[in-house]
Amino acid sequence: MKIEVFETKERVLADNESAARETRALMRERGTLLINLMGSPGAGKTSVLSRVIPALGEFRIGVMEADVDSDVDAKTVAALGARVIQLHTGGLCHMDADMTRRGLDRMGIDGLDAVFLENIGNLVCPAEFEIGADLRMTVLSVPEGDDKPLKYPLMFTIADLVAVNKLDTAPIFDFDLAAFKARVLALNPKAEIIPISAKTGEGCAELASFLRSLIEKRRRGE
Amino acid sequence: MKVITLNATVTESNDRDAARVRARMKRSGTLLINLMSSPGAGKTTLLSRLITDMRDERIGVMEADIDSDVDAERIAALGAKSIQAHTGGMCHMDAGMTEAALDALEGDEGDLIFLENVGNLICPAEYDTGAGLNMMILSVPEGDDKPLKYPLMFKESAALVISKLDALPYFDFSVEKCSERAEKLNPAIKIFPVSAKTGEGMEELENWLRERLADWRRN
Ligand SMILES: Nc1nc2c(ncn2[C@@H]2O[C@H](COP(=O)(O)OP(=O)(O)O)[C@@H](O)[C@H]2O)c(=O)[nH]1
Ligand SMILES: Nc1nc2c(ncn2[C@@H]2O[C@H](COP(=O)(O)OP(=O)(O)O)[C@@H](O)[C@H]2O)c(=O)[nH]1
Ligand SMILES: [Mg+2]
Ligand SMILES: [Mg+2]
Repeated sequence: MKIEVFETKERVLADNESAARETRALMRERGTLLINLMGSPGAGKTSVLSRVIPALGEFRIGVMEADVDSDVDAKTVAALGARVIQLHTGGLCHMDADMTRRGLDRMGIDGLDAVFLENIGNLVCPAEFEIGADLRMTVLSVPEGDDKPLKYPLMFTIADLVAVNKLDTAPIFDFDLAAFKARVLALNPKAEIIPISAKTGEGCAELASFLRSLIEKRRRGE
Repeated sequence: MKVITLNATVTESNDRDAARVRARMKRSGTLLINLMSSPGAGKTTLLSRLITDMRDERIGVMEADIDSDVDAERIAALGAKSIQAHTGGMCHMDAGMTEAALDALEGDEGDLIFLENVGNLICPAEYDTGAGLNMMILSVPEGDDKPLKYPLMFKESAALVISKLDALPYFDFSVEKCSERAEKLNPAIKIFPVSAKTGEGMEELENWLRERLADWRRN
């Protein structure tokens, strides 16, 4: 007897990839940059947005806050003047391309130069699912430890940009920035790594200017 | 270091596997504790403290990670029994995987066996591992709003350890607000504010664990 083997996960990922391709094409056509913002719970994703959005005041920015529950982050970000929508995943540990597309349609991207998706706080599942972003940005904070690229290699392999946050807390943590950078670069030699503190503002101008150049490029149709 | 690679177990029922694990640990009088938290909340550091402080108990640790064996090495360096389990990309441990890890550790010979679950506040809360006790860590740098965002984990845990208490001066974290939010989700939850670095609050947690072990053996 021949039993049919159906590789369900491969199919799910393949379907997701094709939805992500559509979103990528749409964003390019509309001149809007889509950023997938990832990190552990509490790494500082919302705090980084609170720094970066005012610094990019010349652009119109949208934010999709994805959470299992609550709307505390959406309120924080709305107060900055960004266009905001709260997405609830109903217990799901990541956003996929289809959910992202629905969020974009619901929020509306007319007139927006950039959209951030604050993904669910998780270093595992969001790394597996493309959403169609132009930039994958991961926030890793000093209190989490410098060994995280060893334990969550996929997240650091797919990240285009790693913001090392909470630099102001370095005095009480044994975080080795050089070792951390070496671990990320070993997985992903092209990764951009920017140390920051969303509390003191250190490094935030450099982060904003990195994002600015990408948003401008996208506006020029690149 | 003993590293085992676990495959997602294909079984009819995780609940049945979990019941089997629990019955097995009951027979051996060993309390299995499922320790969950975000990546970097301080699971391995807390376990290191417990091992050092509780020399009178035989403690074993099963480290579950997607990759690397750094944590199992840290535990082994303290003289405790440990193994590293790799989940093959999976974001949590289930009962079948826990059973395989227990076999590899020979976890029935011990007083307290900890399963350091994959760093994640979502998926591990959904899977019964067969542990006699679920315990979670939330660290001060993560923020006191986490019970609002990850309610299931707080509902499923018998104890909440609020860790990295020495970091309070750097954050606007309210232990009181966090505790209220956790208790609202789970009125029976025991809360232990600690610093695994300075040792603050560790004694209360250690005494409570000894009591839980005695209960486990009595009932
Ligand atoms: N000391 C310090 N605290 C920070 C920094 N960035 C964020 N936080 C705090 O870290 C906690 C979690 O931040 P949040 O932005 O909500 O993290 P998210 O869950 O990743 O969105 C909050 O208490 C923030 O105030 C930083 O650079 N330094
Ligand atoms: N200051 C301080 N740092 C801590 C404490 N507990 C853990 N850490 C640090 O937090 C980082 C992550 O800890 P670790 O135990 O590896 O976290 P895990 O990923 O949950 O196992 C490491 O750099 C630890 O040294 C604490 O109570 N206070
Ligand atoms: Mg947030
Ligand atoms: Mg650990």
